[in-house]
Amino acid sequence: MKPAPFEYFAPRTVPEALALLQEHGDDAKILAGGQSLVPMMNFRLVRPKVLVDINHVEGLSYIRESDGRLLIGAMTRHRDVERSALVERLNGLLFNSVRYIGHGAIRARGTVGGSIVHADPTAELPLMLAALDGEVRVIGPAGARTIKWDEFFLTYFTTSIESSEICEEVVIPVLPRDASWGFEEFTHRQGDFAIVGVAAVVQVDAARRCTAARLAVAGVGPTPVRIQAAEQFLAGQSLTPPVLAEAASLVSGAVQPESDLHASGAFRRDLAGTMAVRALRGAVRRLEQQERS
Amino acid sequence: MTIVEEHVFPVGREELWAVLHDAQQMAKWIPGCERLEEIAPDRYAATLKVGVASIKGSYTGVVEILDKHFPDHYTLAVEGRATPGFVKGTAKLELSAMSDGRTKLVVNGDAQVGGLIASVGQRFLAGIARQMTQQLLKNIEKEVLEVAR
Amino acid sequence: MTMRIPPKVPVAMTVNGQTREGHVEPRKLLVDFLREDLGLTGTHVGCEHGVCGACTILVNGDPARSCLMFAVQANGAELRTVEGLSQEHGKLTPLQEAFREHFGVQCGFCTPGFLMTASDLLANGKTDTEEAVREGLSGHICRCTGYQGIVEAVHAAAEKARNP
Repeated sequence: MKPAPFEYFAPRTVPEALALLQEHGDDAKILAGGQSLVPMMNFRLVRPKVLVDINHVEGLSYIRESDGRLLIGAMTRHRDVERSALVERLNGLLFNSVRYIGHGAIRARGTVGGSIVHADPTAELPLMLAALDGEVRVIGPAGARTIKWDEFFLTYFTTSIESSEICEEVVIPVLPRDASWGFEEFTHRQGDFAIVGVAAVVQVDAARRCTAARLAVAGVGPTPVRIQAAEQFLAGQSLTPPVLAEAASLVSGAVQPESDLHASGAFRRDLAGTMAVRALRGAVRRLEQQERS
Repeated sequence: MTIVEEHVFPVGREELWAVLHDAQQMAKWIPGCERLEEIAPDRYAATLKVGVASIKGSYTGVVEILDKHFPDHYTLAVEGRATPGFVKGTAKLELSAMSDGRTKLVVNGDAQVGGLIASVGQRFLAGIARQMTQQLLKNIEKEVLEVAR
Repeated sequence: MTMRIPPKVPVAMTVNGQTREGHVEPRKLLVDFLREDLGLTGTHVGCEHGVCGACTILVNGDPARSCLMFAVQANGAELRTVEGLSQEHGKLTPLQEAFREHFGVQCGFCTPGFLMTASDLLANGKTDTEEAVREGLSGHICRCTGYQGIVEAVHAAAEKARNP
């Protein structure tokens, strides 16, 4: 099928784009990378009467560091993050996760802001925001506001962004120097959305005991989730196999995933635990490698 | 897919039954209901605008009330069609009286979703169906409280 | 229900080194513009939702799904399609030669998409092992070859470029 007819605008500035959203209200949709929107338009699942193409808006594509945080402009392509030496140095978890997003051609056009606002519960970037306590900066007629990830992602494909607002920037803290990370994603094929994905961040002291842990899971609910029970359990423990196994069972116990054609709820629950162990083991391995070097 | 949800209402079974079977109120608590017209006893033509985020479809179809056993249980049958797909389902609604005068409503349903929306939305169908059913029950509660006033 | 069809808009872009122009509805997909308006039928339409890879071209040097872009978005851009890989009519590039040599083509439907992604992979990606090539070529569906011939072709082309 081909898309339904629409009016097309390509503003050059953010105020121009906002004015168009104000004028056309619910008739308008923002076009960023188009890798999620255009398939839906091609199937006529969505039929915006007005498309506001923000690919030509100045100043929305950048990767900067400021005050211990990575600031990523909303129109930054996934591919730019994948190739960023700055991101590789300051947040290995984020850097590593981006290459799991779809395929090369999709990463060449798809944007960080677009992925975040689209809010697929099994996408990699929302999981990163959950694991790293990221924030989203949006701008609207009343000005800019910054929203914490857990207040931003509401449910399936639904965020707290208003229809009059545009995502400007995604903020992700730099990984602390004493932190290690692990990432595991289970899919049927390369490039698929995760059936279950787990991101782990652990900080350890000189005696290699975990001082703080973060465990985020995608694919077990309408948004990515943090497993506080497991995080609290891991704090103060050495990351031995029995400790990791207990953390895994805490993860499995904390989630109630749905079943679908790809995987049953029971399988997803099991996967969450197994992926958690592997992600934590990956973090430990990374620590050992750091020590040796 | 199977949908099992329950909710406790702060009224007795007769009051809840009355709200559930009042055609004028039904239009208020069915999510996205734009039109509800009685075409025969216990049979209604309906137009529902439902969906997630930008993917909303206007479903036209029929809502039927069957197998009425006042005030214990009844069955609801729904069939609707829209451009992105179709929905067909039945649910048994069981009302049980609780010792404190409140009523527990258990919805036990089976739904088939087909067409483009089912293949594209496959990963989230069960979760979204659960959310919609929960929203439905919350809407009924709101209606029950308003009537009680 | 009457629908107001927005007027056609002019578009101009560079395709395979040549300036090309057109007049299109905003909703016209880039892949359809290339095929129907410019007569460049080498780029194929497979799934219309970005998963099969048959529509892949290069936009400003990067691979892109042309079924997920509107022609109006390519205004002012530099595009390269499979027709523009070889600089000389009738002469195959080393990559195309490798496809022929390693039986990477059967019906040819997926081939243009693979070639565009492979050309980007050879220029910018990891091709030192077959595994790396396989990963770099992901996002393309082939119904005929079973992929092995394609992977070998691209790997061979990469090796040849490293050791001419």
